[in-house]
Amino acid sequence: MQRQLLEVSQENTLTRKLRRTIVWNLVRSTIHKSRFRFGLVLALSTIFWTATFCLFYESFIFIDSMHAEVMSLLFNTFFSALMLMMIFSTAILMYGGLYRSEESKFLLTCPLRAEAIHAHKFIEALWFSSWGFILLGSPMLISYGIVREAPWSFFAMLLPFMVAFVFIPASLGSILCMLVVAGLPRLRLHAFSVLFAAATFAALWLAWSTFGSTQSQALTPAWFEETLSRLAMTEQVFLPSWWLSSGLLDAALRNDSHEISRQSTFEALKFLGLIIANAMLLSLMASWVARWTYRKGYSNLEAEMPCKKRRQIFWLDELLAHGGSKYGHPIRLLLVKDLQVFRRDVTQWSQFAIFFGLLALYFYNLQSFNYSNAYASLIGHLNLAVVGLILSTFTTRFVFPSISLEGRRFWILGLLPIHRDQIIWAKFLFSFGGGLIPCLGLIFLSDSMLGLEQKTIYVHLACCIALCGGLSGIAVGMGACMPDFRESSPAKIAAGFGGTVSLVLSALFILFVVITVGLTSHLNLLRNAGSRLPDNPILWLIGGSGGLAASLVIIMASGLLATFAPLFLGIRAFRQLEP
Amino acid sequence: MIQFENATRKYGKKIAVSDLELTIPAGELFALLGPNGAGKTTTIKMLVGLLQPSRGVVRVCGHDLVSETRSAHSRLGYVPDEPYLYDKLTGHEFLRFIAGMYRTPKRLTQAHVDREIKRFELQEFADDLAENYSLGMRQRLIFAAAFLHDPDVLVLDEPMVGLDPRSVRIVKDLLKEKTTEGMTVFMSTHTLAMAEEMADRMGIMVQGKIKFLGTVSELREQVDVENKSLESLYLQLTSIPPADQINSTDKT
Repeated sequence: MQRQLLEVSQENTLTRKLRRTIVWNLVRSTIHKSRFRFGLVLALSTIFWTATFCLFYESFIFIDSMHAEVMSLLFNTFFSALMLMMIFSTAILMYGGLYRSEESKFLLTCPLRAEAIHAHKFIEALWFSSWGFILLGSPMLISYGIVREAPWSFFAMLLPFMVAFVFIPASLGSILCMLVVAGLPRLRLHAFSVLFAAATFAALWLAWSTFGSTQSQALTPAWFEETLSRLAMTEQVFLPSWWLSSGLLDAALRNDSHEISRQSTFEALKFLGLIIANAMLLSLMASWVARWTYRKGYSNLEAEMPCKKRRQIFWLDELLAHGGSKYGHPIRLLLVKDLQVFRRDVTQWSQFAIFFGLLALYFYNLQSFNYSNAYASLIGHLNLAVVGLILSTFTTRFVFPSISLEGRRFWILGLLPIHRDQIIWAKFLFSFGGGLIPCLGLIFLSDSMLGLEQKTIYVHLACCIALCGGLSGIAVGMGACMPDFRESSPAKIAAGFGGTVSLVLSALFILFVVITVGLTSHLNLLRNAGSRLPDNPILWLIGGSGGLAASLVIIMASGLLATFAPLFLGIRAFRQLEP
Repeated sequence: MIQFENATRKYGKKIAVSDLELTIPAGELFALLGPNGAGKTTTIKMLVGLLQPSRGVVRVCGHDLVSETRSAHSRLGYVPDEPYLYDKLTGHEFLRFIAGMYRTPKRLTQAHVDREIKRFELQEFADDLAENYSLGMRQRLIFAAAFLHDPDVLVLDEPMVGLDPRSVRIVKDLLKEKTTEGMTVFMSTHTLAMAEEMADRMGIMVQGKIKFLGTVSELREQVDVENKSLESLYLQLTSIPPADQINSTDKT
């Protein structure tokens, strides 16, 4: 007896309904269980959107009054860079979604077409890879429309333009992913690595050749001229980013002549049509590729033998575990265990390397510009805040959940002849040591490139030590106070209530440290430079050497408090823990 | 109902399943036994379409799993060893989704869902999100989903893990009832007692090949050991190097 199978439209309706139900339940349960987190995310998103809108609004007023002709170039550069990033991000997301997720494994055993599974995972990847574009692009384009006094049709066309555009890089990324898996099953890791390395190299080369190697002095009109002429390569008519840029610029044209206005709107509609047609074609092509390669590619990947490389004992592990004594101290052994897990978890170290690598690149390029002392000092403090914030995202994302993740192995640790306190101390030392070395290096690099005086560099390095200690203490202490042993995903643990509290506390601590040091050392700089300070004796006092020393003492004391208070609370909670 | 014709699957140079020839007719409960790494999981993955054979064909109800995947899947029910559920769906919503996937007519969907909810005693938590389920609850829901569309072939991978004794009884009774009605059951397990109690026939797989195929009584006749418990027979058969006391039972 032949059983009836779903039609294509029925499959799509079914998966659409599935996604809708999941999203609805997710929103409902988040509002119900994590009202604080939900509110915080909503509030921060609104603040981010408004701030971005204001920033773009002011920038467009400036550009509109002085360099209106560069708008096309800026849009082309922005959209082409975005397109490239989306191709790679979707390719990576599709790899995880199609070939490594438990859901796809389940769906592959159901009577669904490969295309339907692909379409389902594609929508998911599309959302994850493009929400940043919507969040950043919408304030930019709306502010542009307002500054240019664009007609209503511009605002009406914004969403269709943006939505249609994201389908193009996303489809290309999806096709790239499936072809790599189908064609190079054994070499896929190498292929992705080579592609990623090539893209990174190309981006760096592009950035360097565009901004770095100009002959003129930075931020002068000649420098702008040179830079803009180098960016002209993004204005290629076959690039979808050019269609988007041209369409939006046409749509925003306002002219008193009804005929000209109508013509530019018509031009914009033509570009929109072009983008939609290409988006549909590429989506269809992705669907074809899925039909012919997905199941086979999945099967080939499943059949791959895991690499059975024998792990050698790493010298650093040996040194940490046994250096100076015959038997390793328990804390040292736990430290080595965490270090080994970190080294073998690509997600952890790659994010660490990418974020700190990008920061190092940015700090290195600071030397290209000339600053006044006051401005350099201000940037130095902001850079201190950035390093702290990046570190806090790592401590919240990776260190905070690490106690909870021990839950499943707690019977191993619980039965070992060690004190529970030692587990907490090992986590703290791992986080503190792991964060301190790169952060000190980054701060030193930033301050050196800015040409700050030695005294300020020392102050910043001291602040950096306080920040590393405090952020590690908060993450480990809060992680021990509010563990979630039922959850196996570190991302979900970090996104929970405890993780949010840890992140907020970390942000407040960074803010306190940076404002304290920033205020005193900035006033000190102004006073030493002979600048006139406001007629306020308190400000005069804060700006003196005594003020600076006092601020350092306050920062170190707050660092100690942020380190040991949460650790103490965490240790106490962890001693009483019954998993 | 289930046919493996010369089915072979390689992992690189290693042969995980070698020239498997096996036919399981309608109404039979077949148990696949074997030590870890014998090729049982690979066999099941080929049977449910997650792995394509490097050589040979696997058919379900006459449908080739590679060229007629969807037709084959429409006749299959699958209970994996680690069941997947959507955390943000309730049990009820999950069953309705499965019903839709197998194109159950709308007028019958609710009746079928209610039938399985009642059969596996899911009433108490059917409207809770699956993220709150225990392992046993998840396993019962997966069984309910597998039976929802009245499959002709049911594939079970370590089916009783996480189930309480009452649920185990429900599943055993149901399997007996359904095989009597003509359903074919392919079960992979390490629980010898379960295989002995339930299976019409069993296959013992060692290093990618079926070393024995037949009933428990045939196994007792063919393997020469003093203690005729299934455990002793199984250990004798799967010992390395492979026992050569088997007469002509090597079907590979």
